[in-house]
Amino acid sequence: MNASVDTLGRTESAICQKQIDVLMLVHPEINGALVSTIDGFDVAAALRGNLSAAKLSAMTSALLALGGAVTSESGVGECRDIVIEASTGRVLLMDIPHTTRKLLLTVLCESAVTLGQVLWAARRCRQELSRRLDTK
Amino acid sequence: MSPREYKLIFTGSMGAGKTTAIAAISEIPPISTDVENTDKLSHAKATTTTAMDYGEVTLPEGHKLRLYGTPGQVRFDFMWKILGKNALGVVILIDNSRPDPLADLREYLAAFRSTVAASRAVIGIGRMDTHNLPSIDAFWSATTELGLTVPIISIDVRRRDHVLLLLDVLFHQIETANPIFEDSESGATT
Repeated sequence: MNASVDTLGRTESAICQKQIDVLMLVHPEINGALVSTIDGFDVAAALRGNLSAAKLSAMTSALLALGGAVTSESGVGECRDIVIEASTGRVLLMDIPHTTRKLLLTVLCESAVTLGQVLWAARRCRQELSRRLDTK
Repeated sequence: MSPREYKLIFTGSMGAGKTTAIAAISEIPPISTDVENTDKLSHAKATTTTAMDYGEVTLPEGHKLRLYGTPGQVRFDFMWKILGKNALGVVILIDNSRPDPLADLREYLAAFRSTVAASRAVIGIGRMDTHNLPSIDAFWSATTELGLTVPIISIDVRRRDHVLLLLDVLFHQIETANPIFEDSESGATT
């Protein structure tokens, strides 16, 4: 299910789609990006092949919620990012601060890219999304 | 026999009270992964579980139960598979105020069929005080039509004694149908 009509306005969804399109255009090493609601509905997606935005949204929501439970239990503050290192790529999961509705950002890239490079790009995208959604 | 640890799953429809049930009986502050619920069309509740709940309770014999609650929505069914692995038993909670509680039940019976078919399950129907239909008989028929036999109880998940009764029934069911479960490795987490 796509949440764009039900939970976010079309303008917000369009902002999200534009920002992840820009992210992938500027950083060709990033091969997928996704914005979802905090409870796992996809809002905007730029994914290659037959990757399911709905499934990845639900998994991002679950993982970041688990990350929050772990950081809370560990007494290290709020969970900001989760980095999954896989054999041929990386998946970055992070929340997007928003005054009215917190969203989540998922970024996929190949493992050949340095982690710092893609983390920096993803965080910039998060900041830009947060700023544009708050000032809409 | 030395005390052992067992893994139990609480599953069921969104808003059926899985998080509440675990909180009602857990001896430790339960671990929750609730976030804002943006899908108010499906349920009006403010928050929803997206990964899992976790709690612990010790039985009078000294056995410790590790209680895992699943998310309710089908889009999180990958968590059902992850959490259901090596579970001794499953508690299925149904909210009788939802549009089609019998369809909800069939969904979770199918998802946890191997555990249910091994007589390691119990079903708790909530909100029967305000929504008395479908009846317990209707749930029983829906279950037996699938070739399954599972105890079905009307409960209030906010009440600790009700949730403990549910677990008591589950363990009697397991002991009756699987008399050697204490010695078996299947389902035991230690």
